[in-house]
Amino acid sequence: MIQKANHGDMRIVLEVWRQSATGAPGAFEEYEVMANEHMSFLEMLDVLNEQLVEAGKEPVVFEHDCREGICGSCALTINGQPHGPRSRTTVCQLHMREFEGGARIRVEPWRANAFPVVKDLQVDRSAFDRIQRAGGYVSVNTGAAPDAHAIPVKKENADMAFDAAACIGCGACVAACPNASAMLFTSAKVSQFTLLPQGQPERERRVVAMVDTMDGEGFGNCTNHYECEAACPKGISVTNIARMNREYARATLKQRGN
Amino acid sequence: MDERWSRHKFDLKLVNPANRRKFDVIVVGTGLAGGAAAATLAEMGYNVKAFCIHDSPRRAHSIAAQGGINAAKNYKGDGDSVHRLFYDTVKGGDYRSRESNVHRLAEVSVDIIDQCVAQGVPFAREYGGLLDNRSFGGAQVARTFYARGQTGQQLLLGAYGAMNRMIQAGKIEMYTKREMVDLVQVDGVARGIITRNLTTGEYERHAAHTVLLCTGGYGNVFFLSTNAKNSNVTAAWRAHKRGAFFANPCYTQIHPTCIPRSGDYQSKLTLMSESLRNDGRVWVPAQKGDQRPPSDIPEGERDYYLERKYPSFGNLVPRDVASRNAKTVCDEGLGVGPTGEAVYLDFGDAIRRDGKKAIEARYGNLFEMYERITGDNPYEVPMRIYPAVHYTMGGLWVDYNLESTIPGLFVLGEANFSDHGANRLGASALMQGLADGYFVIPATIASHLAGRSLQAVTTEHEAFAEAEASARAHADKLMSINGSRSVDAFHRELGNIVWNDCGMERNADGLRSGMDRIRTLRDEFWQDVKVLGDPATVNQDLEKAGRVADFFEFAEAMFNDALVRDESCGGHFRAEHQTEEGEAKRDDEHFAHVTAWEHTEAGKLPVEHREPLAFEEVKLTTRSYK
Amino acid sequence: MNPFVRFLTSSIGRKYVMAITGLSLTGFLLVHMAGNLTLYAGNKAFNDYAHVLESNPLLPVAEAGLLGLFVVHIGLAIVLIRANRSARKEEYKSRLGMGAKTVASTTMWITGPILLVFLVIHIWDFRIKKELVEEYDLALMVVERLRSPIGFSIYVASIAAVGFHMWHAFQSAFQTLGVAHPRYRALIKNTGRLVTVLLVAGFGGIPFYLFFTG
Ligand SMILES: Cc1cc2nc3c(=O)[nH]c(=O)nc-3n(C[C@H](O)[C@H](O)[C@H](O)COP(=O)(O)OP(=O)(O)OC[C@H]3O[C@@H](n4cnc5c(N)ncnc54)[C@H](O)[C@@H]3O)c2cc1C
Ligand code: HEM
Ligand code: HEM
Ligand code: SF4
Ligand code: F3S
Ligand code: FES
Repeated sequence: MIQKANHGDMRIVLEVWRQSATGAPGAFEEYEVMANEHMSFLEMLDVLNEQLVEAGKEPVVFEHDCREGICGSCALTINGQPHGPRSRTTVCQLHMREFEGGARIRVEPWRANAFPVVKDLQVDRSAFDRIQRAGGYVSVNTGAAPDAHAIPVKKENADMAFDAAACIGCGACVAACPNASAMLFTSAKVSQFTLLPQGQPERERRVVAMVDTMDGEGFGNCTNHYECEAACPKGISVTNIARMNREYARATLKQRGN
Repeated sequence: MDERWSRHKFDLKLVNPANRRKFDVIVVGTGLAGGAAAATLAEMGYNVKAFCIHDSPRRAHSIAAQGGINAAKNYKGDGDSVHRLFYDTVKGGDYRSRESNVHRLAEVSVDIIDQCVAQGVPFAREYGGLLDNRSFGGAQVARTFYARGQTGQQLLLGAYGAMNRMIQAGKIEMYTKREMVDLVQVDGVARGIITRNLTTGEYERHAAHTVLLCTGGYGNVFFLSTNAKNSNVTAAWRAHKRGAFFANPCYTQIHPTCIPRSGDYQSKLTLMSESLRNDGRVWVPAQKGDQRPPSDIPEGERDYYLERKYPSFGNLVPRDVASRNAKTVCDEGLGVGPTGEAVYLDFGDAIRRDGKKAIEARYGNLFEMYERITGDNPYEVPMRIYPAVHYTMGGLWVDYNLESTIPGLFVLGEANFSDHGANRLGASALMQGLADGYFVIPATIASHLAGRSLQAVTTEHEAFAEAEASARAHADKLMSINGSRSVDAFHRELGNIVWNDCGMERNADGLRSGMDRIRTLRDEFWQDVKVLGDPATVNQDLEKAGRVADFFEFAEAMFNDALVRDESCGGHFRAEHQTEEGEAKRDDEHFAHVTAWEHTEAGKLPVEHREPLAFEEVKLTTRSYK
Repeated sequence: MNPFVRFLTSSIGRKYVMAITGLSLTGFLLVHMAGNLTLYAGNKAFNDYAHVLESNPLLPVAEAGLLGLFVVHIGLAIVLIRANRSARKEEYKSRLGMGAKTVASTTMWITGPILLVFLVIHIWDFRIKKELVEEYDLALMVVERLRSPIGFSIYVASIAAVGFHMWHAFQSAFQTLGVAHPRYRALIKNTGRLVTVLLVAGFGGIPFYLFFTG
C-alpha cells in the first residue's frame, strides 16, 4: 500500500449556486479550493466555508447530517448529476479522489417545483413527508400487535420488501428525473407494504392515497427514463414503479367492485 | 423485581380516555424515543406537538444505527430470558445502572419486536419465514434482531410511519426545522419550550401540560464522533440550566472499529460494524517506525496484541478493552497509516481459510463502504481502524417514571442516563429508545398529568417572555462578537482537549489541566468567534455556534464528573485505577452510585447529588477476558 | 369520486391509457406493415389486398376506432408533455444526466408530433385523395408518391421517427402497465427492439425499393 500522508492535495475550481431565499434570483459564484483526494465532497465544502468565513463572506448553506449515506439529508447536483458521478453513493460518501486535480465542478441544488430552494443548496423536501403521511404505514396502535412470529413472511418477499424499504428519502430520484417525477420514491414505500402481509389490509387505500397526494404536490409524470434508478444512492429499482402502476390499477378495479 | 413494573403500572394513576384530549404534550426530538412516544401518546388521545431540527423526522440520528436491537424473545431456544437480558445488561453496564429500570427494559423488549413487526419493519428472516437473530457484541445468546446493516433506519421509519399516521389524523402537529433553545417553567413545572425556526430565524413559544425531551446524546462534544453532525447537547443542557440534574456525564462509549481520521479536515468518523472482528485479526508492526507496507511485514514481525494479551477472547474482547488497547499501542508509537493513529484489521487469513466469496458474502457491503471512504481495497490490503466516540451513557437524571428533577419534564432515549450504567452493550440503545417511547412513557406520563393539578397556561405568560428574551440574547451575543475564528475551529480544538484528556483513558492531572484549558478556550470563544450572515434566515453557523457554546459548558461538567468519579468503571477508565492486567478497577464501596449534578450558576461548579445503587438480583463481579 | 374518473385523471391512469392506445396502435402498424409488403409482389397484389380491406363492411367502424386511438393517444401526450415541462420551472444550468435515458426516450415529444404531421400528410395522400376522384389505382398512387424525392424524404424521415418512438415506447408501455417483473424486463426490452426493427425494415424497405428501382 502506498502511504499517502500529505499527498493528494488538489486544486479545485467550484461554481456554486448561491440564492438568498426561496424565489429570489440566484447565480453561480466561483471559488477556488485546495482539497485533498481523501476528503469527502462535503469536507471539501467545509474547507470552502472556512475559507469564506475567513474572508468575511457568508458560508454556503447545504444540508447534511449523518455523513455516512443513511439519513438522506445531503442533496447536491454535481455537474448535472444528483449525488455526483459515483453510482450508489450519496454525496456525503463521495470522495474527492473521484475528480481530477484542477477540475471545475459545478454544484447546484436539486431542482424541481415541488422542491423549492430554501437557500443556496438547500431545498424544501416536505412534499415527501406529505406523501408518506397519506398512507406510508401500517395502521396498528402500540400494544395491539400479535406475537412477531404469528406473521411469517416468505424470505424472498421479506428481502424484496427490504430492498424497497432501503430508500433514504433523499430526493435524488426527483432531481435526476427529466420530468421531476417522484415515482421512484413513492413506489418504494408502496412496494414495501404490498410485499408484506402486514400491508394487505390497507393495500388499496394506501396506493391510491399516496399517488393522489404525489400528483397534488406538483411532481411530473413518469415517462420511464430510468434516470432515477441510476441516480438513486440506494439502488432502488424501477420495478417498484411498475409494481405501483399495477397496484394503482388494481386498487381502482377493486374499489369499483366494492 | 419481576413484578415491579406491572405493579407500578397498576399503581399509577390513569388519565381517562375522554380527558386525554384536554392535555397537550410537547415532544422535543423525533428519533426512536421521541417518534415512538409522539405516535403512541397521540394514539391514546393526547394532543401532541412534536419538534425536530431536521427537515423531516425520518432523518433523526437513530437512522444510522447498523447492528441491531436486542430482545429477550428466545426465538433461538438458546436459553435466553428476560432475566438473562436483564442480568447481562446490568453486568455489561459494569454495575452502575438501576436494576429496576434495566429489568423493565428487558421485559418490554419483547413487545418492541412485536410492535415493529406489526408495523412492517422488514427484519431479517429465515427461509421458514420466521425472524432471524444473531449474537452481537459478544453476547452468549442470539437475541439481536436486525435488518441488514440498517436496523436503526428501519426501526425509525416504522416510528416515523406511526407518527405520520397520527399527523394525518390531526393528533400530532409536527414542527420540523425547529431547535429547542429553552425550557419554560410555570410554578416550577415544565410547561413549554421556546424554539428557533431554523428556516426563518423566528423565535416561537409553545405551551403544554408536559414536555418530553428526546434529543439524543452528546457525543459531538468530542467534535469527531460517529454521531451525525447536528447531534447536540443543547436541549438537554438548557433544561439542565433550568434545574434538571445531569447524571454521569463522564460515561461515554468508544467504539473500537471505526475508520480512522485521514487528515485535519476530517469532519466525522464512520463506524464499521463490530461483526468484522469475528474474522479480522488486529495487529500492528512489532517494531516502532516500521514503514513497510503491511504485506511486506512478515508474520514474525507483527504483533497480534489482542490475541497475545487475551488468549481466550482474542479479537472479540468487549468494546472498551479493544479500544483502550488500540490506543495503548498507538501511544507507544506502533500505530500505522499516515496519522499513526490506526491499527490493522486483517482479513488475509480469513480469506485464505474461507475464500474470498465467503468473506464477501459476510462483509461485502462493509468492505465496499470502506473502499468508498478510504480508496483502499480491504480484500487486498488490511483495513485500518481506530476507536471513535460512539454513544453517551450519561444524560439528564430521571426517576423510574422517566421524569427529571423538574416536574413535568420527562427525558427519553439517549438523552437520559437511565439504563446502561457505565457501558452500553451492543444493540441495546435502540431497545431503550423504543422501550421508553412506546411502552414506558405512555404509562408513566399519567403520574404527572393525573397526579398534579395543572392550571391553564398560555404563551402570554411572563415565563415565556423571559425565556424567549434570554434565548434571543444568547444568539444576539454570538452574532455580535464578530471575532476572527470560525465556530468549527473552536469546536475542533475543544474536541481535541476532550478526546485527549477525557477520552478512552483519564487521569486526575489531565482532567484538571483539561478543565483549565476548556475554560480558557471558552473565554476565547466568547470573544473571538466569528458568526456571519443574517440571523433571520437559514444560518447554519449560528446554529452551530449555539451548540458549541453549550458543549463548552457541558465539557467542563463532564471533566468535573470524571474527576470526582475516582474509580474506573465501564467506559470511564481512570488510569490510576486499574488491575495489574490493566483492566478497569471499580470501587464499589465508594462509587456504587449515580452522580447527578445540579447547575448553580454559569462559571461555578455544579452541586453533586448521589443516588445510591442497590443490587438485589445481580451479584457484583469483576469482568475478566483473559 | 368515482374510482374510474379518478383513475383516468391521475398521473398513472393517464399513462395507462397512453400505453394501451400506444400498444393498440403498434398492433395496427404491424398489420399495416404486413399488408404493405404485398407491394413487393407487384401493384396488382397490393390493389387486391386493398380491395379486400375496402370492401369489408366493418372498415368504417375500424377506422373510427383507429381515429379514436390516435386522438386519445395524442391528446394525452400533449397533456403529459405540458405537465412534465412545467414540473421544473427553474432548469438546471448544467446538463442533467445519469446516463440511463436514451435518445429515443428523450425525443418522444419530437417523434410524436413528427408522426402527427406525417399522419395528416399520409391520410391525405392515400385515404382522402382517393375519395375525391372516381377512379384510382392505389398502388400507383403509392408508387408515384414514394418515387418523388419529396415524398421519399417525408416517408423515410417519418419511418425513422416511428423507429425512435417505438424503441422507447414498447418497453415503456409494459413498464407503465406494470408488467415488469425483473425476470421479464430483458425479454420485454428485446421484444420491443425486435418489433421496432421489423417496423422500420418493413415500412422502410418500401420507399427504398420503389425509389431505387424506379
Ligand atoms: C453509527 C451508530 C451506530 C449505532 N448502532 C447501534 C446499534 O446497532 N444498536 C443500538 O442499539 N444502538 C446503536 N447506536 C445507538 C443508537 O442509535 C442511539 O443511541 C439512539 O438511536 C438514540 O435515539 P434517540 O431517539 O434517543 O435520539 P436521536 O435519534 O439522536 O434523536 C434526536 C432527535 O432530537 C432532535 N433534536 C436534537 N436536538 C434538538 C433540539 N435542540 N431541539 C429540537 N430537536 C432536537 C433531532 O432532530 C432528533 O429528532 C448507534 C449509534 C451510532 C452513532
Ligand atoms: C404511429 C403512431 C404511434 C404509435 C404506434 C405510438 C405508440 C406509443 C406507445 C406504445 C407509447 C408508450 C406508452 C407508455 O410508455 O406508457 C407511446 C408514448 C408516447 N407517444 Fe406515441 N405513438 C404514436 C403516435 C404518437 C403521436 C402522433 C404522438 C404525438 C404527439 C405521440 C406521443 C407520445 C408520447 C409523448 C408518449 C409518451 C412518452 C412515454 O411514455 O415515454 N405518439 N406511444
Ligand atoms: C411505406 C410506408 C407506408 C405505406 C406504403 C402506406 C400505405 C398506406 C395506404 C395505401 C393507405 C390507405 C389504405 C386504404 O385506405 O385502403 C394507408 C393508410 C394509413 N396508413 Fe399507411 N402506409 C405507410 C406507412 C404508414 C405509417 C408509418 C403509418 C403510421 C405512423 C401509417 C398509418 C396509416 C394510417 C393511420 C392509415 C389510415 C388507415 C385507414 O383509414 O384505414 N402508414 N397507408
Ligand atoms: S428512491 Fe432513491 S433517490 Fe429516491 S429518495 Fe429514495 S433513496 Fe433517494
Ligand atoms: S427518471 Fe423519471 S421518468 Fe420515470 S423512470 Fe424515473 S421517474
Ligand atoms: S449526510 Fe446523511 S446521507 Fe449524506
